Amino acid sequence: MSFNQDHLGIIQAKLSSGETASTCHEASLMQGCVCASRILALVEHEGEWALFIFISSRMPPEVFTDLAIERVIPIDNDFKCEIDAGEQSVDVYVNSRKLKLLFKMIPSIKTNNFVSEIMRSMEDLTKRRDPPPEFQWLHKYSGSSTSSRNKTDCESATTDITEDDASKEKMLDLDSPDIVVSRHSVAQGANPIAARENVIQHQMSLKENDYTYTQILRVFIGTWNVNGLPPTSSLTPWLASDMEPPDIYAVGFQELDLSKEAFLFNDTPREEEWRRSVIAALHPGANYKQVALVRLVGMMLILLVQEKHEKHVRNAAFETVGTGIMGKMGNKGGVAIRMEIHNTSMCFVNSHLAAHVEEFERRNQDYHDICSRLSFSKFSPPKVIDKHDQIYWLGDLNYRITEMEPRIVRDLISHNSLGALLECDQLNRQRSQKNVFSGYREGPITFKPTYKYDPGTDDWDSSEKNRAPAWCDRILWKGDGMDQKEYRSHPILRTSDHKPVSAMFESQVRVIDVVKYRRVHEEVLKKLDKLENEFLPQVTVDNTEIIFDVVRYLEAQSQELIIANTGQVPVQFGFIKKPDDSKFCKEWLNIDPAVSFIMPGEKCDVKLEVCVDKKSASKLNCGEDKLYDILVLHLEGGKDIFITVTGNYERSCFGSSIEALVHISVPVREISIGRLVELEKGEPPGGMEPYPIPKEIWFLVDHLYRHGLKKQNLFLLPGLNSELIAIRNWLDNGSSEPLPGSLHSIAEALLLLLESTAEPIVPFNLHSVCLGAASNYLQCKQIVMQELPEYRKNVFLYLCFFLQELLSHANENGLDAKTLATVFGGIFLRDPPRLSARGRGNLTAMDRKKASFVYHFLVNDLSDYVTSKVLHLGPTT
Amino acid sequence: MVQEYDHLFKLLIIGDSGVGKSSLLLRFADNTFSGSYITTIGVDFKIRTINIEGEKVKLQIWDTAGQERFRTITSTYYRGTHGVIVVYDVSNGDSFANVKRWLHEIEQNCEVVNRILVGNKNDAPDRKVVLTEDAQRFADQMNIQLFETSAKDNINVEEMFMAVTRQVLRTKQDNKEQEANKRDIVIPGRPKKARGKKCC
Repeated sequence: MSFNQDHLGIIQAKLSSGETASTCHEASLMQGCVCASRILALVEHEGEWALFIFISSRMPPEVFTDLAIERVIPIDNDFKCEIDAGEQSVDVYVNSRKLKLLFKMIPSIKTNNFVSEIMRSMEDLTKRRDPPPEFQWLHKYSGSSTSSRNKTDCESATTDITEDDASKEKMLDLDSPDIVVSRHSVAQGANPIAARENVIQHQMSLKENDYTYTQILRVFIGTWNVNGLPPTSSLTPWLASDMEPPDIYAVGFQELDLSKEAFLFNDTPREEEWRRSVIAALHPGANYKQVALVRLVGMMLILLVQEKHEKHVRNAAFETVGTGIMGKMGNKGGVAIRMEIHNTSMCFVNSHLAAHVEEFERRNQDYHDICSRLSFSKFSPPKVIDKHDQIYWLGDLNYRITEMEPRIVRDLISHNSLGALLECDQLNRQRSQKNVFSGYREGPITFKPTYKYDPGTDDWDSSEKNRAPAWCDRILWKGDGMDQKEYRSHPILRTSDHKPVSAMFESQVRVIDVVKYRRVHEEVLKKLDKLENEFLPQVTVDNTEIIFDVVRYLEAQSQELIIANTGQVPVQFGFIKKPDDSKFCKEWLNIDPAVSFIMPGEKCDVKLEVCVDKKSASKLNCGEDKLYDILVLHLEGGKDIFITVTGNYERSCFGSSIEALVHISVPVREISIGRLVELEKGEPPGGMEPYPIPKEIWFLVDHLYRHGLKKQNLFLLPGLNSELIAIRNWLDNGSSEPLPGSLHSIAEALLLLLESTAEPIVPFNLHSVCLGAASNYLQCKQIVMQELPEYRKNVFLYLCFFLQELLSHANENGLDAKTLATVFGGIFLRDPPRLSARGRGNLTAMDRKKASFVYHFLVNDLSDYVTSKVLHLGPTT
Repeated sequence: MVQEYDHLFKLLIIGDSGVGKSSLLLRFADNTFSGSYITTIGVDFKIRTINIEGEKVKLQIWDTAGQERFRTITSTYYRGTHGVIVVYDVSNGDSFANVKRWLHEIEQNCEVVNRILVGNKNDAPDRKVVLTEDAQRFADQMNIQLFETSAKDNINVEEMFMAVTRQVLRTKQDNKEQEANKRDIVIPGRPKKARGKKCC
């Protein structure tokens, strides 16, 4: 699976002339919760760079035809790339216009190199002196993703399914940066919708424009360093100086309390005092509700919204960060409140940065520390300041006017030459050098510096320190749809050595149109549902009606069933039991494999073998069972398919009862099925005088008697299946030819004939009685003579006589009574069905009893209770 | 994480072979229609999530083989079903006549279940043989809601599934209320009151 720079050649082959792939790397594209393998390449064309995303049909690719270009992203001013390096993976976020992609890469030197190459290409752009790149060479690639997507769709589409109309087609457009699911990755077992709800939220955020409209809210931002003093006058001139009431108030204070208690225990009565005076001074034109208040030592921020907006405010939260003494204490730092109003997230940060003229770098650092350390931890993942639609940053930022005598500064101010001073403003300088507040904007400053005054006056600092005036107190913002209408100071408030500052914004918030929202939400749900349905296991079966023509006893036949996985996911299938059945198929059917696993695009051959043997023959013969079964093929987590298996069973003497056979004088095949079923049901036979024993048994025994008395290992060695079938045909159809097959086959046929009956020679109800009597010959004899049904008694004695005859030739055939007793014990005293599940230990003890039962009849003289008729009667006599 | 759904309901579609059970499901779950007829040999399901009365409902809709020979097996899939959709073909009188048998099948295999009657293929007036009035009369008699739909032309399909889901939802809410009421009755003091009433 390794992928390396050697593959650059393959990628290069995919490109047009003049385009050079400089580096490439393997990455996993995260789509919701699906992770799909991709190859990224950085491609250059005449000084313009683009990121190519390839899908490869195999990893690593071997030829360029393995590759399909999924998407091409120009590295232009809209291209953003952020890296989040963790221990497990390096997350690379690529943003370009509306497109947001997340790639996960394995941490390695190669990954580092690749990412730094991207960064370098971005730097190239900023250094560029030429006109901005136009990326004309990429035009031929636009739309390629659509076509490749259509291709995969065609491959997977089932015939005849038509999309209804164009709008539905659009809804499923996978080219938009929302749901792109690699069938390949899902095929390998990835769950496409593991975190469905997250996917829905993500989808909804991408479609925000479709279900929201804009509403303008007036946002009042105020900041004041109050120098540790309590409120002495009304704040109305600061907070309610506009005609129209603001919709939102964010009011920040610094140096609320300079006492040791406030610093050490973060506890101060000032909080409530200032809060009350804010509330008292709010615009009289509206009612307000406090969303949150947060304070760290002397920094306090209150957020209020008009009552009518309260119900649209969600997820309010606040956090604090100290950057003061030891980089941690709360004498400096920031406090922040965030909320969502309608569908727009807002973050308000009130900060008090490091003091002293020369410490501007320390102030920059404080800003960066606040940005990196302040995150709203109640969210998962925690939200940082930057992850908000609108950010309002206010506070005593403490930036001063550099290298200018206080006297000159004051002079310039008095001549209203603010421009010259603003050029020397540290914050303006630091911002233009991109050292701090990058991405933030600030409105033009038209008011005098707000620091430092003699408290209670409008006079500049007259203390020994004689500080130069400065614009310490500022308001900046970042985000879309924010329009600053006012930016001003309020010198009339003289409590502190700072003057309060305020700004009024007209900010656009996204308001949800409930009807549209519902519709878009429904669309998203539908899309996911469709996806979920697509990822249900899916197979086709080549035949759901398996028909076996003529099925005969002991002649196995098989047919193949081909199960093809036509879905997107691996399929685990198995044949399952129907509610009333003990097994998933009838006993005459064998399925191999009955359970298995198929990968998408692959097939599995299932062999269905029908074989009627001694266990199933009797039921089919008497009509209790038919060669008919419906199999339920179950796909794990998916559907069930019914497979019907049918066949015509050709009845045979094998499986017929002794009682039926003695009433049939012709070969079994010559009588009607109806008659056979009647006989099996024990209906009164008409016509012929029944035979004492079935003629089939007589034929087999007679043959062995004439030709096999001296045969070694008779009944001990198996016959040949083909000969058994020939013997079966001879018996069932009748023939003038001599009985076919070897002696061993004929001996086995005899055993099979006895084993295939529904009930053995000793009926099941006598089974335990016989075993109980096994040690006592007289008892055994009594049971046989008095309890066995007539024809079975005949067969029993007939066979015992024959076996005694065999044993009389023991010198030649080497047979012994014990062995034969064991063989025939198992046959005469076949276990009732319910017993066969018992433990093996029990069975051997039982087998010994069966053998000893039969043994008595092989070694004792039977002539006293046997009429000669039984021994010598047969069809041919 | 927010929960994926508030309710998960199992719906079952039954009815004679060829009345369009699979087509109704395909239309509702995937909004597609296939002109070619493929007999369902087995049981299949699809899912769809809907918002109804402010609740997120995930539907697992089972489509069954309509052929007579599979009836015994398909009846085993009725277990755990919240709602059954009995479908006939408005252009096939026999399929309508068999609705009774299907309703009987439901009674045999489900305890309490919401049912809805659907006359599908209601898109070719000249071939329609089961009149709306007759079907409506029968539906009223059986106390069951009737919908005439066309999976092909996408008529009334969404509405029909919504209606049965609403029924199922209501049943669930009613059951909850009943249980709540039962609990009310057990509060101490009430039994005494009841006894008092008996005396009067």
